[in-house]
Amino acid sequence: MKDYLLIIKTEGCIWTDLSAEQLQKHMENGSAYIGNLMQKGILKGANPIEKEGSRIIKKNQGTLKDGPFNESKEVVAGYFHISAKDTDAAVAIAKENPIFNDIPTQIEVHPLMPIGG
Amino acid sequence: MPKVSEVHTLIEHFFRYESGKMIAVLTGLFGSNNIVLAEDLVQDTLMEAMANWTYKGIPENPSAWLYTVAKNKALNSINREKYRNRYALETRYEWQKSEETTMPEIFSPDNISDDQLRMMFLCCHPAISPDSQIALILKTLCGFSISEIGRAFMTSKENINKRLVRTRKIIRTQNISFNLPHKKHIKQRLDAVLETIYLLFNEGYSASVGHKAIREGLCLEAIRLTELVLANKAVDNKGSVYALLSLMQLNVSRFGARIDDQGNLRTLEKQNRSLWDMYTMEKGFANLKKATQDALLTKYHLLAGISSYHCSAKSFEATDWMGILSLYDRLLILDSSPLVVLNRVIVLLQIGKTQDALAQLGKIEKENALVSHHLFYAVKSDLYAKMGKMTEAGKSLQKAIDLAPLLAEKKLLRDRLKKISEKK
Repeated sequence: MKDYLLIIKTEGCIWTDLSAEQLQKHMENGSAYIGNLMQKGILKGANPIEKEGSRIIKKNQGTLKDGPFNESKEVVAGYFHISAKDTDAAVAIAKENPIFNDIPTQIEVHPLMPIGG
Repeated sequence: MPKVSEVHTLIEHFFRYESGKMIAVLTGLFGSNNIVLAEDLVQDTLMEAMANWTYKGIPENPSAWLYTVAKNKALNSINREKYRNRYALETRYEWQKSEETTMPEIFSPDNISDDQLRMMFLCCHPAISPDSQIALILKTLCGFSISEIGRAFMTSKENINKRLVRTRKIIRTQNISFNLPHKKHIKQRLDAVLETIYLLFNEGYSASVGHKAIREGLCLEAIRLTELVLANKAVDNKGSVYALLSLMQLNVSRFGARIDDQGNLRTLEKQNRSLWDMYTMEKGFANLKKATQDALLTKYHLLAGISSYHCSAKSFEATDWMGILSLYDRLLILDSSPLVVLNRVIVLLQIGKTQDALAQLGKIEKENALVSHHLFYAVKSDLYAKMGKMTEAGKSLQKAIDLAPLLAEKKLLRDRLKKISEKK
């Protein structure tokens, strides 16, 4: 088994238009998804990213950019840390994320390099 | 990561109900001139919950989670200098005067219940028109979005938004307080609240237009709001509240039989009574009993009584029409509107008082509310049919078909017309 980092990128402020009922539905879909990953022992960690407070630092250019990055349409919304057999399996897991049904989303799948041992 | 055994679920409409509670409590905090701020903070809170819970799972006590986040957001907002001046109006909370950044437990069960009641009185203030009252109730207490309210009323979300903006402006400019009305006025103001809830219920119940699920949702919200009023200690004289609740439960209990598997409307006469929801019906009967605890008799008592006659009839033929007629006679004293007269005519026809029915129908023939109402012509057609005037019966029925707003209603009436034509 190998560890993978799934980075969830969504488009801006789409959620603000959703009703309480819709938000609950999306939340329940997402919660069922991670519940399933937990049950199968696939999920090792997950966290959403705060809306404000992100910084992009490009030290060599001496620039520092403030978040939230509304001007760039894509926002890093959160990450999942999972274990999977191989990249194909990790991609398959990422594809099942119900967030795709809700808003424009990209998920990056990165294999984590095993360290030590 | 939480363990698998700790995965929690939410009750249906959890976000909507919690939204209603939080908007009421935050409006209590910021004052009725800041409803929008309360609404925005609550929407933010729900979004934050959604973002967190899709990664972390639903917490063990989701309500407490929401309240903590909402409280922090409120605190941040208060601490922002630009808002500080705006809170001068309401003085229920001590902290407003101090610089301290602590806050009392605003989300206690008692406070939630009281503030929801205050919100109801605010929404149903006489300075606000009935349509706007309902829109504001749905937005604040029921957690509906503007588009959802638009769908419920078959209008655009822009229209609803305009209506809400106007309403909030009335509240601001007239300084309508978030405090409970004075004891002297509470009875009168409660009547206004019940009237609006009943309007909301009818909006959902009269199957004239709109999506079935949405309309049933309105009825269930009306019932929930009435239960909120009942649960509050500030309201004594609960007879009329029990009566309204009973009336709505008895009517809702027959929902399941109103439309058959093919989507056809079923009149009371043709309904499969085994599809009635006995659980809700029993609650309706129990509340009707409680409604008679004080001497006051309202139109809700009479309407609930009429409904209870229908509910307790084993079959359509076994309906106690004389009992129903006597309640309509008393209702007429309280409310002599054309629609009540029309419904009484239906009862008169059932017990064969054709001449009486003819005279009564004549009285309301020119009423504006009825000349374009399909039900009026459907009843008229029934009357003609009973008198053996089949040609006239057919003509009236055709008019009813033309006026009926719903396809299912048109179909029902067309089937009836076919039967009349066969009898000619």
